[in-house]
Amino acid sequence: MKRKLLATLLAVAMTATLLAGCTQKATTTTETTKPAAPATTQASQEATTKATDSAAPVTLKVFSNLPDRKTGQGLVEQTMIDNYMKENKNVTITVEALDDAAYKTKFKAYSIEGMPDVVSIWGQPSFLDEVLAAGVLAPLNEADYKDYGFISGSLDGFKKDGVLYGLPRNSDIAAFYYNAKMFEDNGWKVPATYDELIALADTINAKGIAPVAMDGGDGWPLAVYLSDIMVKMNGTYSDIVTNAITKGDFSDPLFKQATDLLAKTAKAGLFQTGYDTQDYATAKNLFINGQAAMFYMGSWEASMALDTTIDEAIRTNIKAFTMPAVADGKGTTSICAWNGGGYAVSASSEVKDEATKFLNYMFKPENLSKIGWENGVGMSAQDETAFMTGSETALQKQFLDFLKNASNTSGTTVNDRGASAFKTSIESEIQSVCNGTVTSDKFLAAIGAASK
Amino acid sequence: MNKLYSNKLIIFSLVLPGLLLFVFAILAPIILSVYYGFMDYSGMGKAAAAFIGMDNYKNLMGDKAFWTSLRNSLLLAAGFICIQHPIAIGIAAVLDKLQGKAEGFFRCVYFIPNVISVAIIAYLWKFIYNPSFGLFNNILKLFGFAGKVNWLSADNAIWSVLLVLIWHGFGWGMLIYYTGIKNIDPVLYEAAAIDGADARTTFFRITLPLMKPVIQVNVTLAVIAALKQLETVYLLTNGGPGNSTQFMGNFLYQQAFQAGKYGYGNAIGVVFIAICLIATVLLNKVFAEKKSARRLKNGTAWE
Repeated sequence: MKRKLLATLLAVAMTATLLAGCTQKATTTTETTKPAAPATTQASQEATTKATDSAAPVTLKVFSNLPDRKTGQGLVEQTMIDNYMKENKNVTITVEALDDAAYKTKFKAYSIEGMPDVVSIWGQPSFLDEVLAAGVLAPLNEADYKDYGFISGSLDGFKKDGVLYGLPRNSDIAAFYYNAKMFEDNGWKVPATYDELIALADTINAKGIAPVAMDGGDGWPLAVYLSDIMVKMNGTYSDIVTNAITKGDFSDPLFKQATDLLAKTAKAGLFQTGYDTQDYATAKNLFINGQAAMFYMGSWEASMALDTTIDEAIRTNIKAFTMPAVADGKGTTSICAWNGGGYAVSASSEVKDEATKFLNYMFKPENLSKIGWENGVGMSAQDETAFMTGSETALQKQFLDFLKNASNTSGTTVNDRGASAFKTSIESEIQSVCNGTVTSDKFLAAIGAASK
Repeated sequence: MNKLYSNKLIIFSLVLPGLLLFVFAILAPIILSVYYGFMDYSGMGKAAAAFIGMDNYKNLMGDKAFWTSLRNSLLLAAGFICIQHPIAIGIAAVLDKLQGKAEGFFRCVYFIPNVISVAIIAYLWKFIYNPSFGLFNNILKLFGFAGKVNWLSADNAIWSVLLVLIWHGFGWGMLIYYTGIKNIDPVLYEAAAIDGADARTTFFRITLPLMKPVIQVNVTLAVIAALKQLETVYLLTNGGPGNSTQFMGNFLYQQAFQAGKYGYGNAIGVVFIAICLIATVLLNKVFAEKKSARRLKNGTAWE
């Protein structure tokens, strides 16, 4: 009897342990954000706050690709979240923020187990095609945004079959940031043509300084650079790239010419030694520490001009120029610009109405556009002219001029125009063509095969 | 107590957790991998998965990046066996002879890299290899060289990555060999000393032969570790530039989770499991044959 009792007890204890292991509540890795002092829109918040105080509590989960919450776009996003919680006392917003690569991996996991309520997305085929095929994003009513001042065409990348699934955060422009004081001290001139840029590389290298800090380890900035060359050569590439990806055939002479020029550029030493394995932070640090004269990156880095962690002597002397004209190029006044990142609401959100309300709140012109502009974070995809104060940084004014003076913009860059398999392939193979381990022909054949 | 253990309910409840762990953590994922290996599936939510038979495996056989990753993984395994392990055995033998505080101190020093996070190790080496401000190039400059070596260039990257991996795994290998040496009966060494054997003879005639079971385990672990290498490579080079430092684990991850080819990634996983199993069986066979040959030579039949 005693033995049986002991046996039963052991069996019960074992089963209980197993069940406990299976049912233990999952712990969250997210961090509840604490409301901080809002940067703007304080006055308009008070009335709304009173109205929403008594509403039922709601928790929204935001999944973001902006892990740095103290500067740049992450700060803008965080400020809007904090403001929203101040205005809506019943709403708690938790944020999970990861860098791009980790974000995209976890996005897939969430697509199976259930998406957070509001998510960062990219309005590009390399990301959105598979996401929309999986049906994880909620459709939005485009008519709701007719007064939001979105720039013409900026919503296109976020649509499928005429239905809108997300809203664009930025208008991105590729540019060379340069240290104007270093240029002036050494008598270097901003290159007007591509040949002058290559010649400048020799001059700068002779001084023991890296001409251009390039994040080649990630692959995509090199692909943006290739797109930039293509738009300067041809004025536009949209149809050519779309056809090439559809057919898996990159034999159009534009691809060969642009790839050859990119390989020649890398061989000429325009980028720092080891650029093809160095990441974003390393490349940026070379520039902001004065070890590189230029930094090739998107307009979102215009916030460097307001980043007090950067030495003042460099921070206050950062200027930018777009890709110089290529010999015999048709796109002298065309620039490489696109609408990439944005936000969407999850189709599986249990608080979809509140999530949509928060999304709409973020995109009210007085929020994302204004706060972003005040923080010097490049340009939004909305009309920002109402928020000009006259005290913008020189960099902000320059980027506005780039857009104003451009006869044509490229749209989505080459690497983001195909499926993710194509993107992975081109961003890996482009390192090889730049460092000379594969030829342009082999590179084009490889990305052609990946797009099929 | 014996009666208690003969109770089937007790036996079942004791075996059940292990069995469940095996089924859900090992067997089920393998079966799912085999299933998805036959599918064209992006891995995104409820997107349709289409049955495509052996297409993923056919494509894999023609994928140059796969063969590069396999070659690099085998190169790492060879590096572990031919470079890391001989040094580890030697160091372990020297540590054993050191005795006292020095023995404990150096044992800790050699093991330190293993207790540091892989992420920190990877970033540490990224800085060491940096051509502009890295430690290696600064040392070269001290000796009058230009110090402009690109340690992670397409030509050098694989050797630089191998150095990090061999260095990082050294502590484990050394510790296992050290434990093995410590388990050798000291009487054997005393007897050898009485017979006039020097340190070299003692090492080759006593230490090494008695270490063979430990070497077998350690070599098998090293080969499997080389084949499944992912995190250090992912953080250090992510397989680049191009695919020059691509390893099987990283290649699988890239294809399944970045390239949106989840089915293809699972096919790589299945091939990966097969290669690990073949490597383990081959190693067991190699060591078993040596054991049998030795027994035959000695004219003994232990079984």
